[in-house]
Amino acid sequence: MIRRVAIVGYAQSHHQHNMQKTREDMVFEVCKEALHHAGILREELDTVITASTDFLDGRTISSVFLSMAVGAFLKDESKVEEDGTFALYYALMRILAGTHDVALVEAHTQGSTFNPHQVTFYTLDPLFDRQIGVLNDIAAAALQARMYMNRYSVSEEHLAMAAVKNITNAAENPCAHRKMPDVSVEEVMSSKVFYDPIRELMMSPISDGACALILASEERAKEITDKPVWIEGVGSCQDAYLRDRNIQNLDSLQMAARTAYKMAGVKEPFSELDVAEVSEKFAHEELMIYEALGLCQEGQGKNLIERGTTRRDGEMPVNPSGGALGADPVCATGLIRVIEAAKQIRGEAGGYQVPDVRRALAHGQFGICAQKNAIFILGGNGS
Amino acid sequence: MGYVKEERPTTISVEGTWNIGSYHYKGSKLMEEYVKGLKQKKLIGSFCPGCGKVIVPPRNLCGRCHRIMDRRKIVSNRGTITCFIVTPPMEKGKLKVLGMDPVETGLIKEGEVVIPVFVKFDGSDSNTDTILLNVDPKAVHIGMRVKVLWAKEPQGALSDFEGVEPV
Amino acid sequence: MRRNVAIIGCGQTKHTSKRRDVNIAEMVSEAVYNALEDAQVSLREVDAFVVGNMQGFGGIAQPEQWLGDSIGAPGKSVIRIATGGTTGGSVGQGAYYTVASGLHDVAVAVAWEKHSDSREAGATTGLLHVGLGNFFHAASYGLSLKNLVATSAVGAAAGVAVFQAVFYMHRSGCSIEHFDMVAAKARRNAAKNKYAHLQWPGCTPEDIARTEIIAYPFRYGHICPASDGASAIVVAEENLARKKARQPAWFKGLAAFSDEENSLQSENFGGVGVLDPSEQKGCWMSATKAYKMAGIKDPQKEIDVAEVYQPFPSQELIFAERLGLFDEGTAWMALEKGETDIDGRMPLDPSGGVNATNAIGSTALQRILECALQIMGKAEEHQVPRKVSNAVAHGWGGVTNYITVTVLGDSPGR
Ligand SMILES: [Zn+2]
Repeated sequence: MIRRVAIVGYAQSHHQHNMQKTREDMVFEVCKEALHHAGILREELDTVITASTDFLDGRTISSVFLSMAVGAFLKDESKVEEDGTFALYYALMRILAGTHDVALVEAHTQGSTFNPHQVTFYTLDPLFDRQIGVLNDIAAAALQARMYMNRYSVSEEHLAMAAVKNITNAAENPCAHRKMPDVSVEEVMSSKVFYDPIRELMMSPISDGACALILASEERAKEITDKPVWIEGVGSCQDAYLRDRNIQNLDSLQMAARTAYKMAGVKEPFSELDVAEVSEKFAHEELMIYEALGLCQEGQGKNLIERGTTRRDGEMPVNPSGGALGADPVCATGLIRVIEAAKQIRGEAGGYQVPDVRRALAHGQFGICAQKNAIFILGGNGS
Repeated sequence: MGYVKEERPTTISVEGTWNIGSYHYKGSKLMEEYVKGLKQKKLIGSFCPGCGKVIVPPRNLCGRCHRIMDRRKIVSNRGTITCFIVTPPMEKGKLKVLGMDPVETGLIKEGEVVIPVFVKFDGSDSNTDTILLNVDPKAVHIGMRVKVLWAKEPQGALSDFEGVEPV
Repeated sequence: MRRNVAIIGCGQTKHTSKRRDVNIAEMVSEAVYNALEDAQVSLREVDAFVVGNMQGFGGIAQPEQWLGDSIGAPGKSVIRIATGGTTGGSVGQGAYYTVASGLHDVAVAVAWEKHSDSREAGATTGLLHVGLGNFFHAASYGLSLKNLVATSAVGAAAGVAVFQAVFYMHRSGCSIEHFDMVAAKARRNAAKNKYAHLQWPGCTPEDIARTEIIAYPFRYGHICPASDGASAIVVAEENLARKKARQPAWFKGLAAFSDEENSLQSENFGGVGVLDPSEQKGCWMSATKAYKMAGIKDPQKEIDVAEVYQPFPSQELIFAERLGLFDEGTAWMALEKGETDIDGRMPLDPSGGVNATNAIGSTALQRILECALQIMGKAEEHQVPRKVSNAVAHGWGGVTNYITVTVLGDSPGR
């Protein structure tokens, strides 16, 4: 990267079902808090990038009435759609370009406004899949899960174990939505079936939530904080559309990760990363993500779950915050992963802190069967 | 008839609908304060202690100061027109609002002109958009002094504020 | 040390009210492949896409996920940017940052709109949805029906612009005849642009003045059409740009400052504190920053051509002043003297601009694209008859609170 850029502050809401706050208040609060966390004033921002989508917000030009809330009044700003990690990618590009030094990135969705699963139906090919009307993100995920399970002899118990790990982790995270500290494999496996084998507790919950993050160039970051979290590598990649792609692999995630690893000089992700925060919208995706990230061989994701390797106290903790299964305010979910990874590096994760984290990975995704992916490799001062 | 048509002069058109009927927007309670004020024939604005601006109808936050506008001020129900539009005379069959024809239903008289205006009420720092009533369209001008035309029996609804009329 | 970045290829589709011969994916790829061909760049050399449109208008959410395959996006970074009317400008600027960041070397920016896919023109239903949440909120507090009729009678989008025009007329002294002149010029210029929508060779202000008044001071003849169309640019880093293009169009300065919502209302039906929607502080600030980056001290002398986003003719005058191309309140006088014609001192919208062609998502990207064509000398019939060293492209969107300003030049030097 041609400039060093760091995360210097962040905030997130207490994600929950049907939050009793307006969109404007929710967004304003996290932006204000992120500025406070960084210890800077709105006046010090050079640019503001937000993330949301029109269909999810139920408003054409979803950002239009939020400029004031996000602190973009008379600021050089823009809005990226879909996951907040893409907004972060854009903000990073603006700083790398040398045209801006301090950026605020904000992402939000109130899932209670409109069923996010219904929105995924409108992302389908309008001339064919939408006409047939059988697919949405859950149905497609079920097909994906079945193919993956069939190919690598993964059982429903494996999926349930991944769900239990993340949901119990979420119980320690005050911002997470699901509060089920005692959830068991049996409970997950007896929860409601949506599309076999996908059950309620194997899916992310529909949450209302927002998050914001402050990004700064090296010079400014050092002035702002003595605990900057550096962005060491990034990658972003889109896969082919559902029908032209092999959905049993996450190829675009693998490509994004490789780009990010190369930039960060990571050769052995399993040993060089201390923690990963990933956006697993469904339990089976977590196993697939392990493989795409190179934390294990193809088809071996189930072993990491079986052995407890990715538990909070395991050798390679994944989603100590609870991940997307803990809370999923759609557009914010990926950016929350970045914040959680940064918290681990700064030692601010409280009850779910992993000891001695120097380097962390954060992942955001969007689209049916994780069609688009973005990866961030973060490091502390010592890494 | 089968699914494959013999002739396709252009790319096919496929019918589809975009159902937006089931959104649940979250509204703020500010409007409740505002309409309670209207019931008492009072215009409530939000006041920003940061920059001192008063906005009517009340808005929740001040982007200039990046803070919640948590204070209220009652502004005068007299103000000045800062901008206006005069529509051509309304006719039957020209406009549909919420599926109904406003001329046909008698909401607007045949040949009536509608005059949307911005009014800066004394004591406020914002334009309030409303309509100008009981006026000769030719007499409307920027800077014209107007006052609120209240409903005969205010009920605590936005419609209590029917519009403005010349002083 | 900033990386130098240039536009090396431009592609667009013919704009009409109904492109029934193609679907959205086909229309978008038409623009992308035209741009790649113009740039002499193969898809393999492209490493990132920046895309955008107003998703509600075509009724497809996140359409790049479906149509990405048609433009060769799989395996690449694809960022979707949507900011209302400025979408195209934001997409074009996004492509600049993509390459300037050093993360990618060649990016394609593509933006589009296909209004005819919606049964009712997106410009009416789609734009009403901007305030839909506010509307339902107000309706739950007994919104006055007559007030609602008044808003509808003027039209949601036009309403903001009409108020803005009245403010401008009041403070500058220009009159409705000047709007007739701008609209006539736009249609005449469009007749020279083979991709434009409303083409009318020899259109006179009198022709426009014969059309019916919608809401004073706007006539039917003043209003932009709703077009189907797409536009794309290929953006590259310096080495490749110099290798591929005889005359690249260099990005010299850019900015996108947003202001408070300009009129109507804020979230949940609150008021706003901008007293004059023609004041456009965001545009002034964006232009100031973009010129500073570009090393332009006197835009009146150094800018050779401008593409101003003017769906309504008043906006060509308002924004040309805010871009510093004319002194405050004088753009209409320059218009009278023919200074803004293709062969004038400060040509405004030689392509015909938005007033002649409006595929909303694409429109602000077209402004950047048209400036690039002028610099590259590829504008054919609507090429301005002078050496173009600097050109400025403008876009506005939202509740007239979003702005993009992009300065392009024939050399990367600042
Ligand atoms: Zn204030």
